[in-house]
Amino acid sequence: MAQVVFSSWGGTVVDNRAGSEAKDASFRLPTTLDGDRALAAFMGWDGIIVFDKGVDVPAMAAEYMKRVQTLYCCGKCTPGKKGTRVLMDALAAIVEGRGTEAHLDTITDLGDLLANCKCTLCQSSTVPVIDAVKHFRDDFLAYINGAQKPTASHRYIEKYTAPCMDRCPAHIDIPAYIEAIKEYRFDESLHVIRENMPLASVCGRVCPHPCETHCRRKNVDDSINIMVLKRSASDYEWMHNVAPPMKPQSRKNKTVAIVGAGPAGLACAYYLALEGYPCTIYEALPEGYGGGMIAVGIPPYRQPRHLLQRDIDIIASMGVEIIYNTRIGVDISLEELKSKYNAVFLAPGAHRSKPMGVEGEDKGYKGFLRGGIDFLREAYMGRPTGMGKKVVVVGGGNTAIDCVRVALREGAEESVLLYRRSRKEMPADVWEVDGADEEGVRFEFQVLPTRIIVDQNEQVTGVECVRMALGEPDASGRRRPEPVPGSEFVVECDTVIPAIGQDPDLSFIPEKMGIDITKWNTVVTKYIPLKDAAGKDLKDGMGNPLVRTLITDLDGVFAGGDAEIGPLTVVACIGNAHRAARVIQRWLEEGKAYLTDDEFMEDILTNLPVYDKGEAVPWLDSVERAHQAEVHGRERASKGNYQEVELGFADSQAIREAERCLRCYRVAMAAV
Amino acid sequence: MVSLTIDGKDISVAKGSTILEAAAQLGITIPTLCWLKKVSPTGACRVCAVEVEGVDRPMTACNTPVKDGIKVTTQSEKLSRIRQKIMELMLVNHPLDCPVCDAGGECDLQNSCYGLGASRQEYSALLERREIRYNWPLIESDPNRCILCEKCVKVDHEVVGCDAIAVVNRGEATIIDTVDGQPLNCEFCGNCVGACPTGTLISKPFKFRGRPWAFTVTKSVCAFCSTGCQIEYHTRNGRVERVTSDDNNFNSGNLCINGRFGYSYINSADRLTQPMVRGEKVDWNAAMGAAATGLKEIVAKYGPDAVAGFGSPRVTNEENYLFQKLFRNAIGSGNIDSEARLGFAQAQRVLRERVGLQGASATIDAIDRAGAVLVFGCDLNAEATGIEYRVIKAATKNDAKLVLANMRDVKLKKFANSHLKYRPGSELAIINALTWVVLDEGLQDNDFVSGRIANLTELTAALSTVSVADAAVAAGLSEADLRAAARLLGKKKSVAVLFGADLMRSSGAVEAVTALANLALVLGALGKETGGGLFPVYEKTNIRGLLDMGVAPDTLPGYGAPSVSGKDLWQIIEGIEQGSVKALYLLGCDPVASFPEGERIRAALGKLELLIVQDPFPGESAKQAHIVLPSSVAAEKSGTFTTIDGRVQSIAKAANPPGEAREDWDILTELCNRLTSESRPASPASIMAEIAALVPGYGADVVLPAGFPSAGPVSLAVSKDVRPAQPQQAPLLLAGAILYHSGTTTTWSENNLEIVPAGYVEIHPDDAARLGVSDGSSLRISAGVVSVNAPARVSDKVQPGLLFAPSHFRAMNVNALLGKGAGVVPVKVEKA
Repeated sequence: MAQVVFSSWGGTVVDNRAGSEAKDASFRLPTTLDGDRALAAFMGWDGIIVFDKGVDVPAMAAEYMKRVQTLYCCGKCTPGKKGTRVLMDALAAIVEGRGTEAHLDTITDLGDLLANCKCTLCQSSTVPVIDAVKHFRDDFLAYINGAQKPTASHRYIEKYTAPCMDRCPAHIDIPAYIEAIKEYRFDESLHVIRENMPLASVCGRVCPHPCETHCRRKNVDDSINIMVLKRSASDYEWMHNVAPPMKPQSRKNKTVAIVGAGPAGLACAYYLALEGYPCTIYEALPEGYGGGMIAVGIPPYRQPRHLLQRDIDIIASMGVEIIYNTRIGVDISLEELKSKYNAVFLAPGAHRSKPMGVEGEDKGYKGFLRGGIDFLREAYMGRPTGMGKKVVVVGGGNTAIDCVRVALREGAEESVLLYRRSRKEMPADVWEVDGADEEGVRFEFQVLPTRIIVDQNEQVTGVECVRMALGEPDASGRRRPEPVPGSEFVVECDTVIPAIGQDPDLSFIPEKMGIDITKWNTVVTKYIPLKDAAGKDLKDGMGNPLVRTLITDLDGVFAGGDAEIGPLTVVACIGNAHRAARVIQRWLEEGKAYLTDDEFMEDILTNLPVYDKGEAVPWLDSVERAHQAEVHGRERASKGNYQEVELGFADSQAIREAERCLRCYRVAMAAV
Repeated sequence: MVSLTIDGKDISVAKGSTILEAAAQLGITIPTLCWLKKVSPTGACRVCAVEVEGVDRPMTACNTPVKDGIKVTTQSEKLSRIRQKIMELMLVNHPLDCPVCDAGGECDLQNSCYGLGASRQEYSALLERREIRYNWPLIESDPNRCILCEKCVKVDHEVVGCDAIAVVNRGEATIIDTVDGQPLNCEFCGNCVGACPTGTLISKPFKFRGRPWAFTVTKSVCAFCSTGCQIEYHTRNGRVERVTSDDNNFNSGNLCINGRFGYSYINSADRLTQPMVRGEKVDWNAAMGAAATGLKEIVAKYGPDAVAGFGSPRVTNEENYLFQKLFRNAIGSGNIDSEARLGFAQAQRVLRERVGLQGASATIDAIDRAGAVLVFGCDLNAEATGIEYRVIKAATKNDAKLVLANMRDVKLKKFANSHLKYRPGSELAIINALTWVVLDEGLQDNDFVSGRIANLTELTAALSTVSVADAAVAAGLSEADLRAAARLLGKKKSVAVLFGADLMRSSGAVEAVTALANLALVLGALGKETGGGLFPVYEKTNIRGLLDMGVAPDTLPGYGAPSVSGKDLWQIIEGIEQGSVKALYLLGCDPVASFPEGERIRAALGKLELLIVQDPFPGESAKQAHIVLPSSVAAEKSGTFTTIDGRVQSIAKAANPPGEAREDWDILTELCNRLTSESRPASPASIMAEIAALVPGYGADVVLPAGFPSAGPVSLAVSKDVRPAQPQQAPLLLAGAILYHSGTTTTWSENNLEIVPAGYVEIHPDDAARLGVSDGSSLRISAGVVSVNAPARVSDKVQPGLLFAPSHFRAMNVNALLGKGAGVVPVKVEKA
């Protein structure tokens, strides 16, 4: 296990420099930056961690402050702008042999004064510097006394981040776009969003906004309404008839084929098109139904179709060709794509419904529909769904909720949701469940469908269910729901929709092509193994290796989105595809698919993570979180009514909400 | 309400108030430096830090909203120390050129350092000097003096909506610069200079003109447009050296280029300084004698009807009043009119007759609070910039929906939710279509309509033949555009409807204004306390006062009807041409240069036996004058102006007129006395007393009551013909105002001329391509026998088939191309 030489991270000092019995300290950091270069020290908002005793802490602190001041300090408050400059010069004076002990006093004094900064960037940057002066005073004095000269022993890699932007899988610069709104600059806000999020209208509406779970304002009262602020910025542009300002680079001659016009495919195309690469997206569905899971998986009362289409049209206007009605493996083979284009990006999504494992589901009964996602797609496209009047949906995810709500809008008289666990255990977003509740959906929690009941015409007439209760804890200590004997009952219905999950349909990838597929039916991509101090591989939240280049085993073929990550979220697919676009560009230009130091730092910080829910954040909690207006009442789900339910913020409301943001920027720096 | 304690004192304030605002209510002053009331809080300087019990860090009072039960401390040793240290940091590397800094003596940084006791310097950093921007027009920027309070950037963005400057770079290198790093190219309102607390952004024309304390400051009212912004003249040795506006003024300290920099016309070397009779410089006695004798002789020879006069929206109420009195009483002629006849007077007559209004239905601050705003046929940016700021405020700060109906892409487009870029001539069709959609889709204000409108069914019936699709075709829009616009306006708490020159000077303007009043009524725009209203807009200050004072052939002061109407503007011109009018008195106007058919007017003036020109400047008409009487400009006299929304505001004499020039009221009084052989002294105050006795509500510094009845039924004017007009033959020329000038006055102002020195014509890229011209190519534009040459500006702000040219320049007089009834004229365009 790698030895921590010194750490002040999180305010706990572990000092093993003296050589006596080493105290233990472990952090969610890898032993190397990139599988190769060892992490020698780490410096940031919460202190210093030194792994290699050869690290020159005064020199690292001086460099850290220099980067904070010259690269990141926004200059928009006096203590930040001037204070970090005085700090930078004081540290530079010491390291350059011009320093005195008075400089150390100035540094300590400013550490206090910078608590008055407008945001956390400069303020938090004093933390490791003050720690350095406090715990490495002798090293500073050695410089001041002329006993120490700078050595170029380590390289430094810094990363500018914030808890929310770190948690956002697309790493949108959230504080920047919120600040732009605060300054009445919705256009600039959208510009910032688009740097990492080409489908702003979508992720301003339907994103599960993991960022908000890592919002530091939560430590004061409640998180910022980050998602709806994104919608505000996005809506402002179309509400003012403004043409998007993006100007792609001049056209390059290397081409990219993209499989699937979903969030990943569109995002990859957007960023490659910005760089000037001609991209062609192949989409299985007809024109007007682009958008992948956003289109056919998210009903229009959550994501109005015209706004999704506007985002797609913008991408098309940037020179991206979208060929509709073309299924890879049927209308054109993957091999042909590979031969026609310089690179191929696979983003087919996860559109195949999983079976629910109930007796009778494979009999082809009338009224037993193929799956939730299929139902949503047919409804979206205005085709017959096969739905009757009394609809039962089985599942607990967002797709299941979408199905019960769409069923009402398709004219169901009764819409029932069956879920085997309790309401609070549903993976669906809580506001979606509440929305269904308000619209009159009936819920049956802790029930397990066991059998489909049909009449003599093989028409579904009901579902036999059994009640579930939590059993004894299993080996992992988790209590699993178990059927309660004798609790069988029947839910009468004419339609059953299983909505218990989807997985990718990768049958279009020929076995012999050399593209490996996981046992979960996702595409295998190459990764860089990062291990923690205990030697364990670092993984992402889906169990994939943490740091991946997104190139498959077949050179020139890349993969992303749900088909690479496993079924997840729009924002995760976009973040993943944005990285793929960057790697594809490197591969096209340099013949190598690799990641930059900045990307390694990005993933390392996400694994750390940046947010600390235990941090005490002193702030006056005088403004509550703002909520967007919403259409209420059952009429909103009446037959054929796909009008948007959530109405967004008025601009002034958005500005007030943006003013709550604490702008929690911070800079981390690694020495390798 | 939220209750809290500040320094031991209890107070209740509205929810959402900041600690700073709450403290102010208690009379507790928390030091601030970057805080500026009219823009969003910045929180940059940090000197307003206060302590809140239970919160483990100081909070900035300027941007921290109050919370129930909090205990705030604004003064403590800890806070004083923090504030001092922050000031010390602010002064790190701040240049010590205070002795020669333009802000010296009025510098908030100096005052704050002094006030907070920042008397030493503990901190230091390596000195880096930033380049001073000497190459910007009118404004100079020294980033070294900047404390990054962002007031300039915020005023530029939030108030003006111009976005010319921004915070750029990082760390200590952060400065305020132009967005593109090029020399400043903006609206040159100078509101950034006004907001700058230090000598970072300074006025170049004012630089080194004197120390701030050496000037006499006179409160007055801007003399350019009808917004009537309150200003201060700063004078030394009787000369205006700068114009400022205090943030506590009605206009919140905001001005436009004309208001802030246009004063240099006052100091123009071209000013008339001595009376002249038939080209010879004479003394006042000789000139007055010649004028009185000349007028008497004409009256004796041809009768009083042979004398006519044009008044001016540039002179005061008192002067306009005296002018009509001179005509009606001393000469006995009712032949008086003014440029109001070019459109405003007719529009106002519609409003008076339909809804009882002499001007706007509410003061312009009601625009701020409107739920929706319709700006029809008006480039507010050019015609009334101060009103544009209010529309921007409504749209950006108060969530108003904005519909812009304009033939061109004017500045408000970027704030508009709908821009109806209509074809010339389709105004009435669009207004009727919008009204029909409002009624058809039930978007009207039901309370108002059911309670106040007597004959809605009549209008509904008449409009039921309207085809929205046909109107859309006529206007070059889609039906969806028109419907969307109506929906933006309908069902709002309050609606403001503004209209300007393009509508007032369109063909069929009377019908269009009538229809617009109907639209305003069904939308519930009038008669509400909650905001909104109906607002006619005009480019020149006292257009309303001019009409209120009876400078019109058909109305007396206060709008009584004369027993016999006099000749109107065009009848007077015809009268001169036919020989029935022999004498013409031009008060503060230059018809040859600024009226339509200028060449015809020039020829007519040549036939007069007596042409008296009373003006501060030697314009085109003065060239043919028999008698020239040099007069004062607004800064050199006292009196009142009436804004379009009925605020009668006093102006005060701040400067000395050049040479022998005299105030217009003074000249008119003497002439009146000479004609009537009386010797009644007068002063602006005594004249106002006379006016007040005649015109209900009038007096200095009053707000005239809006004429719209607060109760009782109103009837809509229903016109039978609702079909779209036939389109006019392209190409068409539209002449109008631009932001950087006001009438012809500012063409005597070197500051304005530094930005836009001469005329030009905007032409759509399609038309330019067809003619084979590019930016800067010379075009010849002709209408009938008159033609002008103008450099082309290729721009898609205009539409295909439509040219636009500024109407200000005597040297490129596009007004002369216009016909008497319209601001748009079919022309021939060719490469010159």
